[in-house]
Amino acid sequence: MKKLIVCLLVLALAASLFVGCGGSETTPGEGGQQQQQGQQQQQPSKANDDGMIRVWVGEESAEYYQKACDEYVAAHPDFGYKIEVKGMDTGSVAGTITNDPTAAADIYTVAHDNIGKLAATQCAKPITNEALVAQVLADNPESFQKVIYSNLNGTKYLYGVPYISQALFLYYNKALVTEEQAQTFEGLQEAAKAAGCKAITVTGDDGFNMSFALLATRASDHATTVKIYEGAEPQSGGSKGESNCQGDDTIAIYRWLQAYAADPNGFKWASPDGWDADLDKNNQGVLAVIGGAWHYNTAKAALGESNLGISLIPTFTLTAEACEGLTGVKAGDVYRGGTFADCKCFMINANSAASKYAKEQELIAYMASKDVQNASYLECMNVPAYVGASTFIKQCFDEGKVTESQYNLAAMQVSMAEWGIPQPFVTGTLNTYYYSKNAPAVFRAIIDKTAYPTTGDQILAETESLEGIRKALYLAEYLWMHGVNPKEFPANLPDKA
Amino acid sequence: MGSKSKKDPKMKSNIFSPIGKFFKNIKRMFVSGSVGTKLSYLIFGAGNLYHKQYIKGGLFLLLQVAIILFMVLCPSINGTPYGYKALANLSLKNVSEGGDFDPVTGHFTTGSDCKLMILFGFVTIAVIVIYFILWYKNIQSSFKADMDKKIGKKPTTFREDLASLFDQKFHITMLTPTCIAALVFTVLPTIFMIALAFTTYNDQDMNNLGTKLFHWNGVQNFAAVFTGEGSLGVEIKNRFLPVLGWTFIWAIFATLSCYFGGIILALLINKKGLKGKKIFRTVFIMTIAVPQFISLLAVRNLLGEYGPFNTMLQNLGWTTQPIGFLGQKPGDSELLAKVMVIIVNMWVGIPYTMLMTSGILMNIPADLYEAARVDGASTTKMFFKITLPYVIFITTPYLISSFVGNINSFNTIYLLTGGGPTYTGYQAYKVTIDQGSYNTGAVIGIFTFLITATITLITYRRSKAYNEEDTFQ
Repeated sequence: MKKLIVCLLVLALAASLFVGCGGSETTPGEGGQQQQQGQQQQQPSKANDDGMIRVWVGEESAEYYQKACDEYVAAHPDFGYKIEVKGMDTGSVAGTITNDPTAAADIYTVAHDNIGKLAATQCAKPITNEALVAQVLADNPESFQKVIYSNLNGTKYLYGVPYISQALFLYYNKALVTEEQAQTFEGLQEAAKAAGCKAITVTGDDGFNMSFALLATRASDHATTVKIYEGAEPQSGGSKGESNCQGDDTIAIYRWLQAYAADPNGFKWASPDGWDADLDKNNQGVLAVIGGAWHYNTAKAALGESNLGISLIPTFTLTAEACEGLTGVKAGDVYRGGTFADCKCFMINANSAASKYAKEQELIAYMASKDVQNASYLECMNVPAYVGASTFIKQCFDEGKVTESQYNLAAMQVSMAEWGIPQPFVTGTLNTYYYSKNAPAVFRAIIDKTAYPTTGDQILAETESLEGIRKALYLAEYLWMHGVNPKEFPANLPDKA
Repeated sequence: MGSKSKKDPKMKSNIFSPIGKFFKNIKRMFVSGSVGTKLSYLIFGAGNLYHKQYIKGGLFLLLQVAIILFMVLCPSINGTPYGYKALANLSLKNVSEGGDFDPVTGHFTTGSDCKLMILFGFVTIAVIVIYFILWYKNIQSSFKADMDKKIGKKPTTFREDLASLFDQKFHITMLTPTCIAALVFTVLPTIFMIALAFTTYNDQDMNNLGTKLFHWNGVQNFAAVFTGEGSLGVEIKNRFLPVLGWTFIWAIFATLSCYFGGIILALLINKKGLKGKKIFRTVFIMTIAVPQFISLLAVRNLLGEYGPFNTMLQNLGWTTQPIGFLGQKPGDSELLAKVMVIIVNMWVGIPYTMLMTSGILMNIPADLYEAARVDGASTTKMFFKITLPYVIFITTPYLISSFVGNINSFNTIYLLTGGGPTYTGYQAYKVTIDQGSYNTGAVIGIFTFLITATITLITYRRSKAYNEEDTFQ
């Protein structure tokens, strides 16, 4: 009897080892590892059409889209599929999909800059439904249309259908900063001096968040010499287009930012405790933060809704010191901080059964329609991606459907889109080069005035002098284009006008 | 501790002798076995069927057929086959780029999945190994029946064989699930990880090429860690050796500080005449009772920029700016961060050693101390001649495993500082999870294994705990 009990216990123990292999529900907001486990039960049934279309959207939107899809299925009895919507962390979902595309949903949503990678690694299927393609072209701004196509076997296809737009803007502490002060970096500095803290921080030091400096443009005419993969071909191995970040304006902007960061009441990087700890009204470590709509709840928790101000990324005026030795800029020029103005897109999993293809496109056409985007704004504060969404946003505010801060959140994003460009990399190559080859670390090194190592035997000794900054910017540009450090610096920088 | 009778180093068994015996045995069974046994060399279970052991023979035959079908029919998952095709796929040469797309039907052909090709290749090899084990067991079983018959015994029935699994062969029943679990959850993933170190599998290169395919590249990834010519460039070259150096410093200090701190604490608590021993023990054990990650995150907040400690220092006017105790920002002292993680680790680790050493101290025979006192030994001499050797003798394996554990440690520094000062465990995590360089992560894992295995083997083989294990009373 004892042995039988022992055997049963051993069997139970062995069986428990395999529990992890089974499906498990994923709670929105849990870590990536758990999300990956959660996918096991959401397999898109590559070979078999099981009568279910599975959709992944952002965690904040899952409930709404499930409701919207249920309504759609109820209104279209001939649709023929059940729809299951799950919330995923859209920041990490692209990595989750590339790790195991067979375990991903039939339709998923990612930020547009992942389209190239997902298309190149055969995780996504082109969209060919003529009505849907026409809808995308009619509804979306030209800037988005440039970055949602990719190439398959020599043919250019639509891969992503935009449905949310996103850009950086400014959150600030209304208790300590006036609306007027929030319009300029200098105004924030003045308020910070009075409060005895730093003026502004940013939510991260990656390539996306640091676009506030890199993509700053002249306020009077939106002029900038910065080019990132301009004219790139949307295919792996295609032309990388043209890049430039060594212009006089860029150098002057970084010199100005160096001085601003060195000031006791200027810019600071987010502390290890998090940017929200810096912004927290009790800590008063910083008065403002450049972030996105997805930081809204955290910013609100840090400051309280009554203290939370939302504004465009401020302007700043170039100083004589910043322009010294440069011919392309002059002291007194006013620049506004820039942003990558991105969109989130619906995409179809390449592993999804072909028999679902037509219905998947029909469903995407519905989920990306203006009506659903508008409702998504009201329910989840997702800012619509279509042209002219600002009219609807204003209308909602006038009709009292959203609060002032909710209105500002959307309105500032829409406005900031005019001061930015979508992340212009549509192939896997360029995405990787931009993010993973250390160019963001170079920009941070410039702002911090610290040395940045290039190769084992070649050290970029300093980023303080004009020559040092120009070399560092050349290095960043070289990393964008080649993915590796240059063997040596050209004798006479700049090597282009 | 008894007399010293060290192990004879000359007593080394020849590792080839069991292999020789194995083949001799196979030959012997074939020569002296019945027709059924001889047939068993080709057809599983033939010998058992010959001896009318129908269920047993049928099971052997069924397993043989199943494995052969598995090998020939090559069942596939997500388009990647098992069986003989999986063996061929291990070369990673017979691969398809995929990408064929029909815009009307939406039919899309995805390319080969090299990850699965490698994994399924190794699974197939494991199945082949299992096939040969079954082959040997089936011959052995038939030959045993031959021998039973020869001595006039009836060959065992299936029911008797089954009963023996709960009797004299109970150890097999118990060990089988464990062995299967170890094979599936430890051996296969380890082999898979080792294999990845010899491939071009990393997100960056694969994205650059726009493919899911990768291939074998020999020892290039190992060289790249030192030459900087891999996908991670000079970053890994510049960082690997300094990181390895710090990892050793961390492991040595973390191990020794907790070890000797624990012994000292145990000695103090076990001191004769001390009142409230149980309370003291309970207080220190409470740090064990609280999950470690909670303790570490609490300390992280305590020492953070806006944490109580920094706030207190500033309120007292001792500092004007927060001190970066945990070195999380550029410009913070790395040395201070290193010292802090070692100190905090002591707080977390000492109670474990204290608890273990307390048990050992209570078990040291009192007559040893009595005899030493009679001989006029001082307290210090008794500590160094009796207590310490006794404790070290017993805890040497713990000391080694603790050192290895600290080299591989991930959570303490990661939870405390978010990863800095970088150590090999975090570096492997970073290059794998953040940078998608799975091959480099595997290389770091292999290097770490080689270093820890070497240190463990050398240290343990030279320790008294190994050489004099039979002498411990």
